[in-house]
Amino acid sequence: MSLPKAILKKIETIVGRDGVLTSETDLESYSFDATSNWQSLPQVVVFPTTTDQVSAIMRLATESQTPVTVRGAGTCVSGGPIPIYGGILLCTTRMNRILDIDKNNFTVRVETGVVLNDLNQALAANGLFFPPDPQSFLAATIGGCVSENASGPSAVKYGVFRHYLLGMTAVLPNGTILNLGGRTMKNVTGYDLPQLICGSEGTLAVVTDVMLRLLSRPETSKTVLATFASVRSAGEAVHAIRTGGVVPTKIELIDNWILQRIEERMPLGLPLSAEAVLLFELDGAPDSVDREAAQVIELCRKAGAELVRPARDEKEAQNFWMARRAGFSAIFGNSPTVLAEDITVPVSRIADLVDRIKDIAREYELTIVIIGHAGDGNLHPSVLTDLADGDHYSRAQKAVDDIFKSALEYGGAISGEHGIGLEKRKYLKDAISSEEIALLKLVKSAFDPKGILNPGKIWE
Amino acid sequence: MADRISVGDANRCMKCGFCMSKCPVYRTDYMESHVARSRNILIREVAEGKRPPDAEYQEALSWCLLCKRCETVCPARVPSTDINLAARTALAEKGGLSLVQKIIHHLILKHRSALARILGLSVILPGTRLLDRGGKPLRHLADLALVLAGKVAFPKFTASFLANRLPHRTQPAPGTTQRGRLAFFPGCNYEFFFTGVGLDVVSALSRSGFEVIYPEGQTCCGLAVFNTGDQDTARRMAETNLKVLSSFDHVITGCASCGTALKAYKEWFDEGHPLSGQARQFSETVQDFSEFMARQDLGGLTAPEGFSTVTYHDPCHLRGHQGVSEAPRKILGAVQGMNFVEMDMAEKCCGQGGSFGIKHPEASLALLAQKMESVKRTGAQAIVTSCPGCTLQLMDGAKRHGLSVEIMHISRLFKNRTIPPAGDENK
Repeated sequence: MSLPKAILKKIETIVGRDGVLTSETDLESYSFDATSNWQSLPQVVVFPTTTDQVSAIMRLATESQTPVTVRGAGTCVSGGPIPIYGGILLCTTRMNRILDIDKNNFTVRVETGVVLNDLNQALAANGLFFPPDPQSFLAATIGGCVSENASGPSAVKYGVFRHYLLGMTAVLPNGTILNLGGRTMKNVTGYDLPQLICGSEGTLAVVTDVMLRLLSRPETSKTVLATFASVRSAGEAVHAIRTGGVVPTKIELIDNWILQRIEERMPLGLPLSAEAVLLFELDGAPDSVDREAAQVIELCRKAGAELVRPARDEKEAQNFWMARRAGFSAIFGNSPTVLAEDITVPVSRIADLVDRIKDIAREYELTIVIIGHAGDGNLHPSVLTDLADGDHYSRAQKAVDDIFKSALEYGGAISGEHGIGLEKRKYLKDAISSEEIALLKLVKSAFDPKGILNPGKIWE
Repeated sequence: MADRISVGDANRCMKCGFCMSKCPVYRTDYMESHVARSRNILIREVAEGKRPPDAEYQEALSWCLLCKRCETVCPARVPSTDINLAARTALAEKGGLSLVQKIIHHLILKHRSALARILGLSVILPGTRLLDRGGKPLRHLADLALVLAGKVAFPKFTASFLANRLPHRTQPAPGTTQRGRLAFFPGCNYEFFFTGVGLDVVSALSRSGFEVIYPEGQTCCGLAVFNTGDQDTARRMAETNLKVLSSFDHVITGCASCGTALKAYKEWFDEGHPLSGQARQFSETVQDFSEFMARQDLGGLTAPEGFSTVTYHDPCHLRGHQGVSEAPRKILGAVQGMNFVEMDMAEKCCGQGGSFGIKHPEASLALLAQKMESVKRTGAQAIVTSCPGCTLQLMDGAKRHGLSVEIMHISRLFKNRTIPPAGDENK
């Protein structure tokens, strides 16, 4: 069902005819994200190019009580940008200018639709570095990353998106334009609203540009590979390294099943006999990188690694990381349906969690494979199943319930970096108290009293 | 073949969206419906009967340059280009092909030279409406008129077809060591329109010591027909070519698109088809001119007069479809007295994309503008390439953006070659 003609007409006046899509194939193209099974059609897709246009659209939406869902590249893996109540799909991909790279103050101001990879390339040309590296970086937009508080392998050393967020321009659901935060490293001036909007999964305000903190490019980096006879011992090694006085940039874990599938797709010379592989990256000044690499190798040996060695050359290092990036597609490509989770536990409990996941797999007679950013306790256990096979799928869902329960038991969280969105709504009440959920709703209504912005997300 | 790509392969897409980073069309209009991920979902839904294969769907399938850039970053290795072609074929089988298309395909098959003559004529005749379609002129063919009128210097559009200018057999040039016998497949463009390129290719081969046979009875490679989804007609074209070309150990073409087709003949015939074995063997004998020449001695190459700086444009059909990108650069690097400057994103599509440029002129021109920006920054006097489609598009681009660059087929670099080539074993 399409929106009333009068509203469509007004939208066209705001963004121009080129900025409005209503054909069925176009609506279909904005009905999904990177999750497996969520899909819902918007009634119109709108491409604003300025903050003022966003403001006008939001005013119109508030007046007409039309739901608005903001979408960048749609690489979200929790259902965040899916317009489950239809309405306006506000697509930010044409707000894609890098506004100001400030080399003197190590900041950059970018519009919300800039692709992370494009930003990285522009910064590299200036000797600058923005560390957060969600693995969707080739396509993901800055706005989406801020909204989900995204992160990736380098979080071990460099943290997550919010650690680099200094300020933003945001538009409230009623159309009010706010300039929040600033451009300084330190800033305690009232509640830190940019930090509140960061990670709010597009439910509080529409972010139109952001000010980010930058670092100098590390001089060099080194990759180390270690193999283990069990996933548990790899988990123990991660703990040993984290407490051993060295901070690698990345510590990634890949289990044997995934290694096999990656190698089948692209022969990279991975150690296929290993039950688990840990991949480390260290970066910084050459002498400290060498010293840290030696430390990691030593600690891995002590922790019982079967084989541990640095990548032979740049080419091999690249191959190892390519294999890691191919991990998810290797999983998805080998199973009709995958329930890929995103739990996080304290680093000291990784080994326990891995054991528990193995038990759960046995109990429900399922294949559950493990890949993830072990260095910060963030694992992606993935349950292989088939939506079309009712019994199998219901066992898989029970397994997921148990995995979440275990993560919480170990003092962890049900999402490390993907967000709650639609995928994990039903688990929210297990993860946080009803008082906290009530407070979240109060915050939501302070920003969005009419509940038109990205409705239906985070809680049920 | 047992595992021909089908629309079912669209299921392998996991919607990660990496294709968006490489898709030239998406990176210009930022519309999700124009990128492989979204198209794969549409194709899947039509295959499952959840949505009709209507005009909107046909339109969605047409928004692809078939350049294969998306496949270079796809972690799930989804063959999105071939999936799109399979979907177009399914559509054509359901009657998605217009009567005009069917007639033209048939004419190409049966009366190729006559059709080329009519086409040539229609370009010359003033006021002809044959090239107009709903008010939108067919840009590139219309530009041929400018070539004819002498407003564009290169390449010379010749009144005489290649068949009248090239003998059946060209001997190795005098003074060279005989190195073997080759068959030359010019393809429609070098056969009828840019015949000078056809002659340059043959001359370069002959000066390298090869006897070049120009077999009679060749027809269109079939690629453009195949890409509309009319695979039956395309296969009949392939059959004709197999008949006259299969007896050669080496078949050389100077056209990136024809090379793509000839090398794909092995996939055009199913396992059980009587010609599948022959097609498989044949495809192995095919090489692009630059691919072949890069393996030969490259001594004695000197810059064409007036071209001290040149750049290179990778045709999608050569780099994306055939994986040939080093060979032309090796040749360019071997030319004495000429500075070869890489342009930014030489591998990015020029926007022609077969029928894409005709169906979506605005998007095509936006891509062309990006390409011309890259060219401008190199300061080159010529863009070397090896695809007639790209050539037409780039000629158009030079004109529109006021650049004085020539678009040059790579065989032209062999024109000033001294004989015998330096490094020849007789020397």
